[in-house]
Amino acid sequence: MSSEPPAATDAHPVPSRRSYALLAAGVMCVTAAELLFKRGAAATAGASDAGSLFGFSVLASGWTWLGIAAYISASAAWMNVLRQMPLHIAFSMMSADQALVPLCAWALLGESISPRRWCGIALVVIGIYVIARPAAQRKEQV
Amino acid sequence: MSAALLLALIASQVCLVTGELLMKRAMDLTNATPVPWARFVPRFLAAIACMSGWFFLWGGLLQRADLSFVYPFEGLSPILVMMGASIFLKEKLTARTWVGILLIGCGVALVSAS
Repeated sequence: MSSEPPAATDAHPVPSRRSYALLAAGVMCVTAAELLFKRGAAATAGASDAGSLFGFSVLASGWTWLGIAAYISASAAWMNVLRQMPLHIAFSMMSADQALVPLCAWALLGESISPRRWCGIALVVIGIYVIARPAAQRKEQV
Repeated sequence: MSAALLLALIASQVCLVTGELLMKRAMDLTNATPVPWARFVPRFLAAIACMSGWFFLWGGLLQRADLSFVYPFEGLSPILVMMGASIFLKEKLTARTWVGILLIGCGVALVSAS
């Protein structure tokens, strides 16, 4: 990694409300993409390259392409978020998908969630809150 | 767990973290006026290449193991990205941020273990 001129840091604006909204939209798109990729992978699990290192055969499923579309939307939102927000804050908030995927599987696919998994989901949500709160406060101070 | 599966897991994490760091560098450049495209393009393309590597490795993993097995390893990525952001991007990390990340890591481990 080459060193950046100080101007790049000085030009770094404070994250706006729009950044947080974009981040939320990105998280939802990623959650949709994960669920679609899983469906695509499940639909192609018997393919000839199923045992190889790269899973190119997932491209044979339409679910995978829907997942790619959701993932591209998320990426566009993500790139805009990165213009303003520090990477470690934005990325850790993106971990909300770890809680959202099982929640969506529960709500949409009727999968059950064990008490242990509920605890895990709660910890992820609390962790994101702990990280997000001081970031929002900094925003208000500036 | 087979050696190939472990290799794919490690490689996917490396691809993801490197890709995110490069993408952050590239997008930071777009805040400048005029945008230094000559410096933006190579970083952006390298980021896309890393993320493509992650995508296909991840697809391969999902074919052979279900999400509940792959997730604990994916839970490492926020921690690795934080370390990378601190070392390479010189982002300031507070104790509170580390506590938050630890909570998320434990949460992901619990979600995947059940």
